Amino acid sequence: MGASAEILFGGLFQGSLYAMMAVGLALVWTTIGVFNFSHGVFMMLGAYLAWQFVDIGLPLPVVLPLAVVAMAGIGWLLQASVVRPLIGRSNIVLVVVITTLAAASLIENGVLELWGPRSKQIPPLLDGNTTIGGVGVSMHQIAIIVITPVILVALWLFLNRTRLGLALRAVAQNEDASLLVGLNVTALYGLAFAIAAALAALAGIFLGGYRFMSPVMGADPLLKALIVVVFGGISSISGPIFAAYLIGFFEAASNYYFGLYWTPALLFAVLILTLMVRPEGMFVRSSRSLA
Amino acid sequence: MSALLEVSDLTAGYGQVTVLHRLSLCAGEFGNVGLFGPNGHGKTTLLRAISGLLRPRSGTIRFDGAPITGLSPRAIVARGLIHVPQGNRLFPDLTIADCLALGAYSPHARPHEEANREKVLAIFPKLRERWRQRVRTLSGGERQMVSIGTALMSHPRLLILDEPTLGLAPKIKDELCAAVLAISKGGVPLIVVEQDVEFLLELSQHLYLVNHGEVATEIRPGQTMDHAEIMSMYFGH
Repeated sequence: MGASAEILFGGLFQGSLYAMMAVGLALVWTTIGVFNFSHGVFMMLGAYLAWQFVDIGLPLPVVLPLAVVAMAGIGWLLQASVVRPLIGRSNIVLVVVITTLAAASLIENGVLELWGPRSKQIPPLLDGNTTIGGVGVSMHQIAIIVITPVILVALWLFLNRTRLGLALRAVAQNEDASLLVGLNVTALYGLAFAIAAALAALAGIFLGGYRFMSPVMGADPLLKALIVVVFGGISSISGPIFAAYLIGFFEAASNYYFGLYWTPALLFAVLILTLMVRPEGMFVRSSRSLA
Repeated sequence: MSALLEVSDLTAGYGQVTVLHRLSLCAGEFGNVGLFGPNGHGKTTLLRAISGLLRPRSGTIRFDGAPITGLSPRAIVARGLIHVPQGNRLFPDLTIADCLALGAYSPHARPHEEANREKVLAIFPKLRERWRQRVRTLSGGERQMVSIGTALMSHPRLLILDEPTLGLAPKIKDELCAAVLAISKGGVPLIVVEQDVEFLLELSQHLYLVNHGEVATEIRPGQTMDHAEIMSMYFGH
């Protein structure tokens, strides 16, 4: 009873965070065809911005949208500075790995300079604790488990039911054809980055209300999101979402039965096995597409 | 009457390679224009330069009197100059409905979206049957219909078709040729690149032979030209 409740709960919670991160990575990959290594830093910076806004006395309902929108803008700027100038180069995939890693390093150290190394925490979304199935959980975690699917469904509806979402899906599939129907391809690239950064910021704020924040807090979630997208397949949005929850449950079960110490090793075993059996990911067709 | 599209002294290419050498032509003076000539001699490069996908090295392109050289494809689409590229490499995971909606993305085309959709479905009734099907599941001919249909949704004032019947079975090819003729009769002037000279002659009386990146011969209306003569131009004298 306790075991299954704990695994179920832990899996849902971790899965929610991973899904928010992985979807952003997949969005950028499908539309632009590059891998964004500053995604973890987006998460961290979002949390620090939120902390700063709380620190100057703003209430959380104001802080949340403010930090998310600010991060969307920062995501756009980062795309314009270290990705867009490289579009069209044949080695773009490799070069963008380097430029986004460099940007991540700069931002990480900038945050360290600006806010210092002391751990910080954001107030939780909801106060209090409760007990479900014999397991003690915080209301904050329950809020995250409930809010995340709502946001993911909203993203899905945006991509599949709006004209702008349709344009994003089109760019992901064929850039020349998108240009020839008059899409503003560079703006859509910026939009993909902005949405990814906003989702990462939200994940960061969720995490910052639960654990202590540090300038390197994004590194581990980025690594996990990487495992998720390799496992689920990076070329769609729904693949990584399923995979995020599966990996979340796997991690929770492994934590419970084998302990925290073995979990990373087991996760990488899953990653390597996936790459051997189905290198394109578990839940995808072989081409790039959103939705 | 001045020409709808004027290309003068256009030089363009990729990297170190120059494909077009000071090419000049006019379209829209005498109805449709047909381009023909051997493969690899610059027809597709010319079309890519006209639609803004490729920035020309020198020369000018004027559409409806205004220069469009070096403009973005988006700005060119907004003026109603629409290019259907070769080989129907469209959006494989979008449905026909999605593709046609995308065709009307440009602000100038949006007010006409409903009317244009009806026109497209009148020309290609097959698309209605497969309305919610993904493009990747369609046959080559159907994909070409979606490509042309998407272009018609962009409310073209001049429509450029790059080898619309390439690689199609004869029966579907005839169907498509009939549709292209219907589009032309509907009042949209065309520039068509085609290897099938019979079809070009049926469609247009104003032909250009593009060879070695320049216009080798222009055939104007009134200059009668039979199949044998064109073939001899193709293969050299």
